[in-house]
Amino acid sequence: MSATGLRPPRHQADPRAVSWWTVQWLMLMAPLAGAAVAAYALFTSRPGWLGALVAVFALGCLALAVVAPRVSYRVERWEVTDDAVYTRTGLLTHRWRVAPMSRIQRVDTARGPVQRLFGLADVTVTTASSAGAITIGGLGHELAADLADHLTARTQATPGDAT
Amino acid sequence: MTGVKSLAVAAGAAFGLVRLLTGLDLPPGGVVAACAGAAVLIVAAAVAYDVLRLRTTRWRLTPERLELRSGITTRRHRAIPRDRVRSVDLRADPVRRVFGLTVVKVGTGEHAGDEPELALDPLTRHDAEVLRRALLHQGETAESCDGPLAELRWSWIRYAPLSVWTFTGTAALLAALFKMFDSFGLKNVTTRLARELWEWVVTQPLLAIPLLLAVHVVVGVAGAMLLFAESWGRYRLDREPGRIRLRRGLLTTRSLTLEERRLRGVELHEPLLLRLAGAARVKTIATGLAKTDDEDTEDTAALTPPLPRATALHIATAVATHSPLASVPAPEALDRAWAPVPVSGRPGLAPAPGLPPRVPAPDRLGDGSLPAHQDPAPDRLSDGPLPGHQVPAPDRLGPLPGHQGVASEGAHPGGPKRPGTAAAPGSAAVAAVAEESDLARALVAPVRHPVAALRRRVVRALAAAGAVAMLSAGLVVAVRAGAVPWAEGLIGAGMSGQSGVGAGSVGGSGMGDDAIGGSWVGAGAIGGDWIGAGAIGGGWIVAAVAVPVAVLAYGLWLAVAGAANLGHALSPRHLITRRGAVVRRTVALDRRGVAGWTFTETFFQRRSGLLTVSATTAAGRGHYEVVDVGRSDGLDLAAATVPGLLDPFLVREAPSDRRTSVRPRVPPGPRSSPDTIEGLTLDPP
Repeated sequence: MSATGLRPPRHQADPRAVSWWTVQWLMLMAPLAGAAVAAYALFTSRPGWLGALVAVFALGCLALAVVAPRVSYRVERWEVTDDAVYTRTGLLTHRWRVAPMSRIQRVDTARGPVQRLFGLADVTVTTASSAGAITIGGLGHELAADLADHLTARTQATPGDAT
Repeated sequence: MTGVKSLAVAAGAAFGLVRLLTGLDLPPGGVVAACAGAAVLIVAAAVAYDVLRLRTTRWRLTPERLELRSGITTRRHRAIPRDRVRSVDLRADPVRRVFGLTVVKVGTGEHAGDEPELALDPLTRHDAEVLRRALLHQGETAESCDGPLAELRWSWIRYAPLSVWTFTGTAALLAALFKMFDSFGLKNVTTRLARELWEWVVTQPLLAIPLLLAVHVVVGVAGAMLLFAESWGRYRLDREPGRIRLRRGLLTTRSLTLEERRLRGVELHEPLLLRLAGAARVKTIATGLAKTDDEDTEDTAALTPPLPRATALHIATAVATHSPLASVPAPEALDRAWAPVPVSGRPGLAPAPGLPPRVPAPDRLGDGSLPAHQDPAPDRLSDGPLPGHQVPAPDRLGPLPGHQGVASEGAHPGGPKRPGTAAAPGSAAVAAVAEESDLARALVAPVRHPVAALRRRVVRALAAAGAVAMLSAGLVVAVRAGAVPWAEGLIGAGMSGQSGVGAGSVGGSGMGDDAIGGSWVGAGAIGGDWIGAGAIGGGWIVAAVAVPVAVLAYGLWLAVAGAANLGHALSPRHLITRRGAVVRRTVALDRRGVAGWTFTETFFQRRSGLLTVSATTAAGRGHYEVVDVGRSDGLDLAAATVPGLLDPFLVREAPSDRRTSVRPRVPPGPRSSPDTIEGLTLDPP
């Protein structure tokens, strides 16, 4: 018996996605760190040990916001072959997903307001399964549009109702 | 007919009126007159509405489509192309049956739930049957060919009480009765009755408690049996050309027709009690079926009542293997989907001698488009386990506690069974019989999962029990030290704590079969902790010890049973996966129904070399998991299930390299830039 493994998909997100993800993380983490510091300043008698703890917490939050997107960028990969869409996501829980081209029912691109600032877009591939769609996040928007066109054309060329 | 039905509403309204008017101090004659007046009004209104509805409803069947115009105020015109019709279900409740009428529901099987099915209410029984046959392209003579697949045997009713409802049904019934009496203004009576009952229990507990329990059980059993009789009386499962027909119901008759084109597999459903009794139910996995609860009597996926496991197995394999994907040439799209990918230019994918061979598909599956390294002898399918997937490596398995060795035929914990002897009906082809027995064997004795899966579950149970023990200990210490002034209040809360643990463990039994079983142990444990707290108030520290021990025992049982029930296999046409401690589900998913894969590896799974393989599909639950399978085995299984699809994404390593690098990696290739995406052949503008 040989050992079988999954190889990583070939492509990464657009490098600009790192900045976008950092902004997203900061929008979550900055208020958290700010709230902790504010609570410390307003509602406590400011003991030194608690101050150190709060400082570590706040710095940890900010560090996470900076580090996590860079790790995501290394982990999250995608690939489109003639026959399938293949993605890998997840920091702690790794998740590989494969959707055969013949089963794709819908291809969407989405661009949020912040994403648009960075020139990014998501491509979402939906199959007939209720198990959820596959999203390729953080692509350059021209690439996303080309990819969506390509996928749509390939999907339409495949007969059947994809169930 | 509507008149008859509306009488029931009228009776209810009369009750309400009586209650209202007796408060108003009117003479009895006035009350009766008011009731009669109200009844007449209600019946007249109902009849008028129905007459209007029937006069505005028109349907017709043209050679192309079925059309329905309806609506009193909002007119609707719906048309269903006849070749889209996937199901025609007939249903007649007792009142309709008296009048010889039936409701016909026509489904297109695509988006059940989005829009109500087209219903013709009512047609005469004869018209309904004619319409059913016409819509399903079926001549008058085309009854089932080989006799029924299954027919009710009343001895099956012995399995009816083996459900949760038997134990909770009486309580539910009492609650419903109480509510009803309450709404009729008889609350005083019920309260007094309850108080007297309670006094009786308190004064004579030795007599009262066994008696009450006996009544409880008798009512539960009788209720379950009545429910079984009503739902499954006159049960009959037929195979008609291209479809399966299920007829059942003693009072309300139901006739469900399922096109085999929609069938993507079958599921053996074995809740704990049924499993202990050697029984099982069969469910279908089909596209476009509405999702319903497992215990619901209207569960459209249910194919059989609870019945002996050997019979269930026979029905499951017969339904699964005779579906048209075997007997009718597959549509071209499906063939394309599974045509092997040309593997040129990818070394390491060429089938090496050490690799597990692609599982040989039967010749009608691929129509000559099979990979070159296909197993050449088709008859091998019938006479042995599939290479690489049916025979587990002995060192992987190890002796599982409580389940020694591999369950081969007859040695299964569920009791002795010889699926091969459950012969296919009548004149089934030899190949079909072989395929059937192959599937049956895989369903009964799938490949077990590695010991690491058991270890994971045991650790989870220990962690949950440990958390409960710490909580209990903390509470004991806190109460002893007087640090918890509100502990006294818990004496009273002890009673509600009891019900808390009940709810917790019911939740555990309902959901325990999922991967999150561990956390449900935790939830039960939190309920349990209330008992602990209440008990301290009452001065029983014993309970604070007993609860964590009970949680530990239950958790360990979940762990061992859950790990022992994990399994997977591959038969010529199906991917088989089995899981679940409390409710064991054995799923045979048609390999052509697999619409994609998801491989999940949590942090802890990665450390123990396990992987969860999830096959996504358009049917049933939408995804079926092979939980905690060995990493390499799981990937090989998925690759073999849908030949060609995964091969470009897999790397295979020689066994000698295995120790040095557990996670094989290849260089990820050139950095992507928008115009050098391999495989993405963007057309030049």
